[in-house]
Amino acid sequence: MTIIRRNPEAPHCPAVDHARELIHVDCASHTYADGSVGIHDMCFFVLRHEIVAICGPNGSGKSTLIEHLNGLLLPSLGTIWVNGRSITGGEQAGLWKEVGVVFQSSDDQLFAPTVLDDVMFGPLNMGLSPADARARALGALTTVGAEGLVDKLPNYLSGGQKRLIAIAGILAMKPLVIALDEPTSDLDPVHAGMIEEIILDLRDRHGISVVIATHDMDLAARIADRVCLVRNGAVFAEGVPEEIFYEPALIREAGLKLPGIVQTYLDYCTASGAAPISRPLRAAELTMALRMLPRDKNLE
Amino acid sequence: MSSTSLSSHIPDLDLITYYAEKQGSFFSRVSPWTKACLLAFLILLITVNRNLLILAGLYAVVLACYVLAGLPVKKLVAWYALPVLFVVSLIGLMIWNEPGVPLFSWALPGFELTLTDNGVLLVVTLLIKALITVTYSLFFLMTTRYQHFSGLVSRLFPAPLDQIFLMAYRFLFLTLAMTAALLKAVWSRGGGLIHSLRMQGRLFAGIFALVFIRSFERGERVHKAMIARGFSGSYPHSGEVPRPGLAEYGVLAITGALVTAAIILSPYRGW
Repeated sequence: MTIIRRNPEAPHCPAVDHARELIHVDCASHTYADGSVGIHDMCFFVLRHEIVAICGPNGSGKSTLIEHLNGLLLPSLGTIWVNGRSITGGEQAGLWKEVGVVFQSSDDQLFAPTVLDDVMFGPLNMGLSPADARARALGALTTVGAEGLVDKLPNYLSGGQKRLIAIAGILAMKPLVIALDEPTSDLDPVHAGMIEEIILDLRDRHGISVVIATHDMDLAARIADRVCLVRNGAVFAEGVPEEIFYEPALIREAGLKLPGIVQTYLDYCTASGAAPISRPLRAAELTMALRMLPRDKNLE
Repeated sequence: MSSTSLSSHIPDLDLITYYAEKQGSFFSRVSPWTKACLLAFLILLITVNRNLLILAGLYAVVLACYVLAGLPVKKLVAWYALPVLFVVSLIGLMIWNEPGVPLFSWALPGFELTLTDNGVLLVVTLLIKALITVTYSLFFLMTTRYQHFSGLVSRLFPAPLDQIFLMAYRFLFLTLAMTAALLKAVWSRGGGLIHSLRMQGRLFAGIFALVFIRSFERGERVHKAMIARGFSGSYPHSGEVPRPGLAEYGVLAITGALVTAAIILSPYRGW
């Protein structure tokens, strides 16, 4: 896959892969009541079994796009298709069962008195019996490694634990797609690492597609299959992380910074006078890449 | 970690929920229906009864239940501050010049205020009535799971009143959490409730107004998150409210008979 630059003049964004496509946002625009533009001519898609990172600075439209995927917001213009249904054509009933949203602030999501009650909320709304909903909730809590928190009260949990419960609450509904808004913001490195593992697990073991809206470039570089750069309410470039993150000009254009690993590698190459011969995105890859570079005596 | 505890004198909703969900005592296994009926009987009884001995006995029984349930007594005493303040402020004007033996007189220009033994008795009686109600209500809330409580509300109130009641209860948590966050911010920069009110009254009033606006906005975000998980205006219940057992029916029948007798024999019947 190569970097695709969106043409702002194009009236539609064609489907890339019909068979695998779960969500297709076709030139959608949304303007808030006060006139501020949330998204504008947004073209975006999600395929089966992939992790898509929507990367952009604050106010670029990431959260607005996430809320469109679940039908919480409807576009003023354009069309959104989810699993073959046009939600802008009035077919948004039950959409929440197919696309789950984990909000940026877990405190906004957790409202029930106990963890178990909160995780059971979605399955009960799906019409499951209390026993089945309980089984689903316990399964989801086990998946995120929070089975020990079943009887706890959300208000007494740490930020990291709350995030795990928020994800379990969505996972219990077994959606096709889970969209996470800033999944690791405000988390300590251990909990951020746990969330990262869970996201990979959702794709690999549960076959769920994951959309993450983030400005954590390191996270996007490590786990995304595809990266979409968002600016002024629209995706203006997308591609695989190895290509997107090794285009410093593109990242600057998006108002972002290169991932730490990429920056370190490029800085080392510049300092040593060596041409980059690989594109590491993870710490282990960086170590390998540095070993492969010709040694510069000046740096020793 | 967060907590909705604003002051040791304001009931901590998180702590109340913690005890309710912990289900640690015999009283937690008593049917919520039984406890709700007993609350109704209790209110009826203290409404028609003015006998200080009976009221003191009732208070002792209710307090004993609270203690036996393993609920925090020190907290309860601190939480009494608000009902005591409420009763005293409400009857502060009514206790004067009651018929009876004068205990104390206060001469003011044009009139005289006299406190009699009946005036004191009125304060004590109303205080005990308030404490009985508060203690039993807290006991009820702290020994009943929210799931059962919401089921009870849904059965007792018609829709959408039940949903409004339940959502308002949850909204109270949000507002208290917001207020607690605000007070922490004030304290962290050397402010204090009285001190800040005196020094920056207007600013403080503005901040408190903001608390309600922010709580409302937060409520909207919570609502949005609920819709994202399929909420369509009706809070789903994950289980039945446990029914009273045979022994509980017996207790209710006896208590009901006693309350009925108290009402019939009460000299204040018809109030």
